[in-house]
Amino acid sequence: MGHSPGTPSGTAIALDGLGKKFRLTHDRNWTLKATMLAGHRTRYEEFWALRDLSLDIGHGQTFGIIGGNGSGKSTLLKVLAGILRPDEGTARVDGRLSALLELGAGFHPELTGRENVYLNGAILGFTARDIRRRFDDIVGFAELDRFIDEPVRNYSSGMYVRLGFSVAIHVEPEVLLVDEVLAVGDLTFQKRCLERFAQLKADGRTIVVVSHDLDMVGWLCDQTAWIQQGALRAVGPSAEVIDRFATGADGSTGGGTDAAPARARPAFERLSDDDLVKSVGLIDPNGHPTDVVGSGRPVHIRVRYDGQAAGEPVTVALGLYRADGTHVASINSGATTRGVAHDAASPGRAEGPESGAGIIEVDYVVPALPVQPGTYELSVALHDASMRKVLERHTHLLRFEVTPTGVDPQNGLVALGGTWEAR
Amino acid sequence: MLNGLVGLLQVDLLINLTLRDLRSKYKRSALGWTWSVLNPLVAVVVYSAVFSVFLRIQPSTGDPSGLRSYAVFLLVTLLPWQFHVTSLTEATRSITANGPLITKIWFPRWVLPTSAVLARFLTLLVEMAVLLVLIAVIEGHYAFAWIPVVLLLMALQLLFTVGLALMVSAANVYFRDVQHFLGVALAPWMFLTPILYPLNMVPDDRELFGVGYRTLYQLNPMVSWAKAYRNALYDLRFPSAERWLAIVAATVVVLVVGFRVFRRLEPRMAEEV
Repeated sequence: MGHSPGTPSGTAIALDGLGKKFRLTHDRNWTLKATMLAGHRTRYEEFWALRDLSLDIGHGQTFGIIGGNGSGKSTLLKVLAGILRPDEGTARVDGRLSALLELGAGFHPELTGRENVYLNGAILGFTARDIRRRFDDIVGFAELDRFIDEPVRNYSSGMYVRLGFSVAIHVEPEVLLVDEVLAVGDLTFQKRCLERFAQLKADGRTIVVVSHDLDMVGWLCDQTAWIQQGALRAVGPSAEVIDRFATGADGSTGGGTDAAPARARPAFERLSDDDLVKSVGLIDPNGHPTDVVGSGRPVHIRVRYDGQAAGEPVTVALGLYRADGTHVASINSGATTRGVAHDAASPGRAEGPESGAGIIEVDYVVPALPVQPGTYELSVALHDASMRKVLERHTHLLRFEVTPTGVDPQNGLVALGGTWEAR
Repeated sequence: MLNGLVGLLQVDLLINLTLRDLRSKYKRSALGWTWSVLNPLVAVVVYSAVFSVFLRIQPSTGDPSGLRSYAVFLLVTLLPWQFHVTSLTEATRSITANGPLITKIWFPRWVLPTSAVLARFLTLLVEMAVLLVLIAVIEGHYAFAWIPVVLLLMALQLLFTVGLALMVSAANVYFRDVQHFLGVALAPWMFLTPILYPLNMVPDDRELFGVGYRTLYQLNPMVSWAKAYRNALYDLRFPSAERWLAIVAATVVVLVVGFRVFRRLEPRMAEEV
């Protein structure tokens, strides 16, 4: 493998001047004859997908990697996984590694789910005894008890992916590499995956996540690196790096030109009856629901959720985005959760005939919405009180308009709300 | 110590991949495993008809067994040869066909061609067992005492084939010509190995560049295996020391070179596959 044990103490992953180049053959006539005719070497152009990348990731960290398409994120993950060998520098990984680059990559369609679990487990470095011990957990997590002896070619794509994820996650890796795999599966499954990640994180495992989903990276990762054209652009606490990336993507630096399309998902989520979140809405100062707010005007963001079904104190998190995907703000009720929850449980706050027992209503009160006119989107997530576990996550749940109010035309992201004074 | 060896040889992975090849091979076919018996059966009928009946090739007389049966003469070398052909053919494509796996998961790549050969080897074991019983029942020719010698020959052939499989499977990632070349080369290779005719039919009195035909002919390592299998199962005789030497030397050289070539070509496989 391209990496060996023996990293500096405290680092799970150590990259030192890492470089990886690819050959771009102009006509891929990859035959013996072509090579002979072209002389000793086929003509090709070199392309550095990664260059001079140095980065340390500590044990037990949850680390995000973001960047536009073609920035080298996935190449980096493949180098870490040992699939690609660096052409320059070194990449060291300390500890048993599992890479979730594609779920169910090792499955053979003609074999049954059971046979594939053993096969995939062996490819991931498991012995038959290891698998036997975890088999019930694997099948249980994937919820495939009834279908495990069916050939996987009969599986739906969701079943396929669930089984692949389940095997990979039960390898009990010390270092887990994840490439965008959470974009698959239905919401319930995504939720359980995130829970599982939170659990691994709590167990002190190192997790490296490559994703376009800035929300998810922000929620899951302590630290984030932004990679651009194969080089490290920024590294640090997730919120900071994501903000820089998001603004870079909007500005002329072209940081992540693909970030906007990736995020502007046309499909808006709908809440189902099983969801903890019952409704999210905007309330104007008169107490009426609305979906239009004046720039710089007061508004309440009201979230109603089933506190009884949640069974524990809940932290409510909100994410505000522009329609082009630019991240505007994220807030959560954080330490005040219990205060809010108690408050909300008191009779004064629970209102309306349909708010049955256990429905909790919380308002995020914005005195003056400081954003420029335009279309905005709101995401909502419920965490447990410690923020370790994601109970539920709804991206782009609500879309609303911010209308111009001031006399002076303004541009940019925020409405400063200032006034001019002549002296 | 034992655990270390089990880990180094990737025993669990090899078993699983071999089982995958065996299990998936005849899935969704009505005759299933019958096909693997049918193949040598048809071959022996056709070759016997053409070479023994039409062309009147005489099998050598078993010495000291005294046996004189073209079918047995043919089968004791044909089954190992068919193992050689099919395992190489399947191993050549084993890495390119598993491209999605190679680009998504890291695991020792050598297990892919090796398990392809192993899967075919298991069928050879069954075929050879059936052959021994059949010639005992039909011809009254009892070769059971020679089983240990045959197993040793088979084990060496397995290693030899793995060495070749490593070379061709790795080379095929870079040059897809290899699989086509192999398809072209295997047919003449068979006719240049004493499978359909005895070795002494190769002229000894003619020369090419001052070297006797038969000497040149014996540069083909498969000649030694064919002779040795025929010694043990047809003649009921221990193969000569020179044969063993040639076999062991060929095995060691091919295995070492195979692993070296594979190691060299392994790092960029995920990019080229």
